[in-house]
Amino acid sequence: MSIMELNGGSVIAMVGKDCVAIASDLRLGNQALSISSNFQKIFPVTDRIYIGLPGLASDVATLRERFRLRVNMYTIKEERELEPETFAHLVSSTLYEKRFSPYFVEPVVAGLSKLPTSTPESPKFKPFICGTDLIGCLNFAKDFIVCGTASEKLFGVAEGLWEPDLEPEDLFETISQTLLNAVDRDAFSGWGAVVHVLTPDKVITRTLRGRMD
Amino acid sequence: MDHFPTNWGRPRNDTVDAYNTYPLHQRPDWRPKDSFADGIQRTQQPIVTGTSVLAIKYKDGIMMAADNLASYGSLARFKDIQRLHVVGDYTILGAGGDMSDFQHIQHTLDSLMIEEFSVDDGHKLGPPEIYEYLSRLMYGRRSEMNPLWNSILVGGFKDGKSFLGYVDLLGTTYSASTLATGYGSMIAQPLLRKAVEGREHLITEEEAREIIKTSMKVLFYRDARSLNKYQIGTITAAGPKIYEAQSSETEWSFAEGIRGYGAQTQ
Amino acid sequence: MPQQRQFNPYSENGGTILAIAGADFAVVAGDTRQSEGYSIQTRYAPKVFRLTDKAVLAVNGFAADGNILVKTVKQRLEWYRHAHAKDMPLRAIARLIQTILYAKRFFPYYVYNILGGIEEDGTGAVYSFDPVGSYEREACRAAGAAQALVQPFLDNQIYFKNQKPKPGQSHPTHLPLDHVLSLVIDSFTSATERHIEVGDGLEIYVVLARGHSAQGLSNIPGAQEISQTDEGERVFVVRRDLKKD
Repeated sequence: MSIMELNGGSVIAMVGKDCVAIASDLRLGNQALSISSNFQKIFPVTDRIYIGLPGLASDVATLRERFRLRVNMYTIKEERELEPETFAHLVSSTLYEKRFSPYFVEPVVAGLSKLPTSTPESPKFKPFICGTDLIGCLNFAKDFIVCGTASEKLFGVAEGLWEPDLEPEDLFETISQTLLNAVDRDAFSGWGAVVHVLTPDKVITRTLRGRMD
Repeated sequence: MDHFPTNWGRPRNDTVDAYNTYPLHQRPDWRPKDSFADGIQRTQQPIVTGTSVLAIKYKDGIMMAADNLASYGSLARFKDIQRLHVVGDYTILGAGGDMSDFQHIQHTLDSLMIEEFSVDDGHKLGPPEIYEYLSRLMYGRRSEMNPLWNSILVGGFKDGKSFLGYVDLLGTTYSASTLATGYGSMIAQPLLRKAVEGREHLITEEEAREIIKTSMKVLFYRDARSLNKYQIGTITAAGPKIYEAQSSETEWSFAEGIRGYGAQTQ
Repeated sequence: MPQQRQFNPYSENGGTILAIAGADFAVVAGDTRQSEGYSIQTRYAPKVFRLTDKAVLAVNGFAADGNILVKTVKQRLEWYRHAHAKDMPLRAIARLIQTILYAKRFFPYYVYNILGGIEEDGTGAVYSFDPVGSYEREACRAAGAAQALVQPFLDNQIYFKNQKPKPGQSHPTHLPLDHVLSLVIDSFTSATERHIEVGDGLEIYVVLARGHSAQGLSNIPGAQEISQTDEGERVFVVRRDLKKD
C-alpha cells in the first residue's frame, strides 16, 4: 500500500483572467475507511498565496507549520511581502532538503504575483500556479495543476473543461465541476470540497457539498 | 487394523495414522514414475538467437533485411545463417529470436506449401493467407504456454498489392509501412519512419536499398549482437528474391579518441 | 533445477475506446495507436469493428486476444445467420460475448469490450464488459488506457453529474448526435494530450436506427457510409487525425 494513498485527497489549481483558483476535497481516510469529512488541505500563506498539500496527513500538518515558519522568517528578514514565485522555490527547497527521506506530499501553489508596473495606487497582478512532486521538482503550468489520488481523473476532466481567460465566476464553476466529477470516480477522495478563487481585490471561498459515498 | 480395504495387501504408509480417519487415506502410488517429468521444458527460453529484422514498403513492393548471425548468448556462434526465407511464390519471412524455432516454422510452412500444391486447385497462398496462418500458429502456441520464441516480419507482393506484417511469440500482430524487430524497433524504426512514412509510392528500389543500408549500418554500430554481413530480400511483381550477403563500409578511427565514459576519462 | 523465467502470455497494447448511446443511435469510437511499453508498434490498428448492420464492437487491452475474440464473435454471428437467416439481435450478441469471455474464465482474454448498436425496439444501446464476461447495458462507457481521464468527463457531460438543471427544467435523457460526436472528439483530443498511449488516429462508428436522418454527421467532414439495411439502419464511420507525439 502506497503512503501517498494512505489518507487520500486531491488538490487542483487553475488559471483564469486576472485570477486563480485552488480547490481540494475534504476527505481524510485510513486506506478505504473514511475518518473525517472536514480535513483541510489548502492553507493561506499570504493574502495572495494559497498552498494545497495533498498526501500523508501527518506530513500535511508538519509542512504547513514549516512553511509558516519559513515564510515568517522571510517576511521579517526581507521586510517585504513574499511573492508566489519566491514561495514556490521555498517549497521546492524545503522538500528537496529531505531528498532521501521525503515528505509524502505533492504541494500545489496558487497565487497572484505583483507585476513590475504595479503601483500602490493601481496594483496589477499576474496569475501564478505551480505544482511540485514530493521531492520538490517544480512544474510551472500555464493552465492547471492537479495532484493527489484523483490526479489522473482531474487531468482528464480539466483538459476537457478548462479554457483560457475565464472570469472569476466562470473559473469557480470550471474548477468546481472538474474537482467534483473527478473525485466522484476516486475511492480515496471526495466527501465535500472547498474552493478558493483569488482575485486582485478579494478571495472568494466556498464550501461545496459532494457525494458522501 | 487398517480400516481401508483399498490399502489391504499393500505396504503400509507410515506418514499417516492408519487408525484415524483423518487425513483421508492415501493409496500408495506404485505407478511407474517419470523421472524426467521435471525436466520437460515447455516455457523455454531462446538459445541460439538472431537479432533485428528490418522491412519497408517502396514503389515496387517490399524490401527486407536481416544479418547472417545466430548468437549463442554473447557468443557470435554461427556467422552464416540465413534469416530470410521464401515461402511460396509471393512471400518472404524474416525472423529474429530463437533460430531453432524459426527453422521449425520454415519446415511447417514448407510442408503447408507442398500440401497446398498437391491439392492442385489452381490456388496459391498469398501473403495475407500465410500471415494469417502464421499468426494463428504463434497465438496457438502462446495459448499452450509453449511459445515459438520469435518476432517475424512477413513481406509479400501479389496481384499488384504489397503486404507487410509483424507477428511475435505472443501472437501480437500489426501492419505498417515500415517495420523492425528487436533492437531495430528502437534504433532503426525512427530512421525508417522518417525516410518512408507518407512517400511509400515514391521510393525507388535504389533509394529503398540506400535506406536499408544506412539502417543496417547504424544497427551494426550499436547492436552488440549484430554482424556486418547481411542479406537483403525484395518482393515485387517479379517475385521474391534474396540477394547475396553484403557488408557495410564502417569507420572506426573515432574509437582511438574515446577514453571511456563518466569518471573514467584517463 | 535450471533457473526458470516464467513465460508471460499477456501484454498491454494501450489505446482507449469509448461508446455513447443516443435515443435512436449509438456511437462507438477508438484511437488507432497500438503500442507496447514506450514503442509505437503501428499508427493504424483498428480497435472498433462492425459486426452486423446494427452492432459495432470495440476491443481494448491485449491486441492478440482482442483480434482473436473479434474473429470468434464474427464467426459465431455468421453461423447464426446461416441457421436463422437473419442477423443476431444486439442483446443476444451481448450475451454471446459474455459466454465466449467466461468460457476462458481461468485463462482470460485480457480485453475490455464495449458493444454499441441498435436494439430490436429501435433504441440506441451500449453494453460494456469486463475481461471475464460480466456485463451491463449503459448509456455511455469509456475503457482502456485513458479510462480514468475520459469517464469522469462523460459523467459530467452525458449524465450531467454535479449539475443542477435550471428551475422548472430537467436535463435531457439523451443527447442529439452532433453533440455526442463533438463530446467524443473532445474526449479523445484531451486523452491524446495527457496520455502517451493515446493518439495517431480516431475512428468513430455511428449506427443510426431506421428513420434517423444523418443530419448530425453533416458538419463532421469525411463521414463515410459503410452499410445500410433494407429496414433503414445505417452505419457510418468517421476517421480523424489525432496528434502523433
